[in-house]
Amino acid sequence: MIEIKNVTKKYGNKVALKDISFDVNDGEIFAFIGHNGAGKTTLIKSIVGIHDFDNGDILINGKSIKNNAIECKKEMAYVPDNPELYEGMKAIDFINFICDMYEVPQNIREKNITKYAKLFEIEDNLNDTIDSFSHGMKQKIAIIAALSHDPKILIMDEPFVGLDPKAVFDIKEIMKEMIKDGKIIFFSTHILDVAEKLCSRVAIIKKGELLKVGNMKEVKGDKSLEKVFLDLEG
Amino acid sequence: MNKLFSLIKASMTEDMNIFKISTKKSNTFTKVFLPIILSIMIMSIMFSYSEMFMEVLVPIHMEFVLLTLFIMVTSIMTLVEGIYKSGNLLFNCRDDNLLLSLPIKKSTVLFIRVFKFYIFELLYNSIFLLPAMVCYAIHTNPNINYYVVSVIGLLLLPIIPILLSCIIGSVISYFSSKFKGKNYAQTIITMIFLLGIMYLSFNTNNLLNDIAKNASNINDFITKIYYPAGTFIELVNNYSFIKLSEFILVNLILFVITIILIGKIYFNINSSIKSVKTNKKNSNYLIKTNSPLKALIKKEFNRFINSTVFVTNAGFGLVLFIIGCIAIVIKYDDIIKMLMQSNIGLTIDFINNNLPILMFGLICFASFMTSITSSMISLEGKSFNILKSLPVNPFIIIKSKVLAAVLIMIPFMIIGDLIIFIRFGFDLLSIILLLIASILFPLISETIGIIVNLKYPRMDAKNDTEVVKQSMSSMISVFIGMGLLGVTIFLLYKLVDSNINSYLIMLILILVYAIIYLILNIYLNKTCEKSFNNIVV
Repeated sequence: MIEIKNVTKKYGNKVALKDISFDVNDGEIFAFIGHNGAGKTTLIKSIVGIHDFDNGDILINGKSIKNNAIECKKEMAYVPDNPELYEGMKAIDFINFICDMYEVPQNIREKNITKYAKLFEIEDNLNDTIDSFSHGMKQKIAIIAALSHDPKILIMDEPFVGLDPKAVFDIKEIMKEMIKDGKIIFFSTHILDVAEKLCSRVAIIKKGELLKVGNMKEVKGDKSLEKVFLDLEG
Repeated sequence: MNKLFSLIKASMTEDMNIFKISTKKSNTFTKVFLPIILSIMIMSIMFSYSEMFMEVLVPIHMEFVLLTLFIMVTSIMTLVEGIYKSGNLLFNCRDDNLLLSLPIKKSTVLFIRVFKFYIFELLYNSIFLLPAMVCYAIHTNPNINYYVVSVIGLLLLPIIPILLSCIIGSVISYFSSKFKGKNYAQTIITMIFLLGIMYLSFNTNNLLNDIAKNASNINDFITKIYYPAGTFIELVNNYSFIKLSEFILVNLILFVITIILIGKIYFNINSSIKSVKTNKKNSNYLIKTNSPLKALIKKEFNRFINSTVFVTNAGFGLVLFIIGCIAIVIKYDDIIKMLMQSNIGLTIDFINNNLPILMFGLICFASFMTSITSSMISLEGKSFNILKSLPVNPFIIIKSKVLAAVLIMIPFMIIGDLIIFIRFGFDLLSIILLLIASILFPLISETIGIIVNLKYPRMDAKNDTEVVKQSMSSMISVFIGMGLLGVTIFLLYKLVDSNINSYLIMLILILVYAIIYLILNIYLNKTCEKSFNNIVV
């Protein structure tokens, strides 16, 4: 479970996140939506321990990311919006590196890397260096690296950007598969159709303030998510 | 013209802020006062050197030789450093996609890159040249023409070394782009080129001596070997408007010709560098388990060997250390003869009795003048967030960088040590003490480097050169290294002079530095997590 409690983050005088509070429960696919610059990436980076925040706390399965960052990070995987990977490394070496950091046993990493590399049709490219990859291929490598250590919580920032339709479909299937085991998927997106069809809960953020949070059905009512979002943003 | 001005303005505001640091809290001291203090310190040292030279030159009325020496030294520094910087500054920059998609000529893009290079070198050269020019003015009380010539000279003198290094850098980039492992090829070709220049400069000593003998005076001698220095000195001694105009025109014409020449192949080289030669389809990949620390060290090695400017900057000094050791072995008698003739009061017995101490000084020099870690955090760039998201203690991450750097340095140190040990047959105690120094000094140097880089990271650099050669962190580290070297040499000199046993001298210094290393480590352990988390990408 992710518990976001009264999180406030400022950049100088600018308030990037204002007293944000909500929970993400086990077995949920949770969409986090908002305009560009609304504060989505800031909150995601705060959850995964890249940014700190000025007030409040974030608990990962009961542990505070502020006080127990390493234990929290062990349970999470993070896929950034722009995959800035180690360009000079071979793709397989990068994935191995991430597995080493999470101390993934040989048999589990073999199983997962083979499975996801095959699924994303990238196994023939794993011996190439990352600087030879397109944005979409880098994104696939970042996702394989994130999934290779069987995270309990998968946090993704705009995961569908730059991916081919087959990869988008595969990721959605992986998400559905993961929540069956009680895992959590938390992601930001601008593709509201996908969020509407895939997610059980949603949060909408505007200029650092949480406008709405709840079950997808409660939030959108009879309208489409797109209509609700545009009404709230308007 | 407006377009060009806008491009230069945009590119300058973005790139020339070498003192920019990517931390949450950057105060006025680090932003404003520290760069000023550093510049003043370097300029003061240069001024002191100038005064020392003047003590000899004033009585013989050859004050202008001071300017000649400083011009020669800054030009050589600009050329040598420019050779390995230029490939990185001109080609495959992060803003290529933006600039090359704009409706401007490709030669304009090249011009902007060379111009930025020029502005940086102008600042760099000024720190060295200005004190000498001021010192000359104080001692000779020249007329207004001198000041005009000096200002114009300051602006023009970096041009030719920069153009030469751009041409050589382009040639190296052109040939290395033909290889599959472009980065490795570029590093090897650059190293060969730099070592070639060194070899030639050692072997042209006789030629230069001949020219010197045949030249009627030093001014002729300089004019014969280096046009900009010769013309500048001629203008200082004998101002002529025509000569000054010629000087300006020659530099500008050379600048334009070089831009046109490189411009013809610029797009070709840039495309070739960017083109990717992938492996044949191969699904036999290796899945291998390592401990987090070992994996982090491997990652650092990978980053190091993939950056030409990083390898050349660190490796050149280390390769020179080995070459120095080989030179001592092969040309020992010549070196002894040279030291005897240098009137610094050394005797053959003294040199032979204190060889381990001299080696100790050499190890100290190679260690303190090499700082790999001072760029390692900045070189992470935006991928630093990967490290921040990992379930690994920041101290382990930082430690891995220090260990990787030390593991790069130690083989060079040990090879150099062995060459000297075998040739001179040092006793066991000296060997042990020197081997300890060969490990301890790189550890200290690299720990200082990482502390400085944690404090002054630059995470948004457009290329590796901006980090390795033009960042606050690398400058401060070099400065601290120079300070430590100076203090150690001074202590060695004083202790030897006091007739203390050489084993004891080495032991005392090793103990002192071991304590310093311990303190640095305690400091790093205490502050590293906070500094690590303060870095903003």
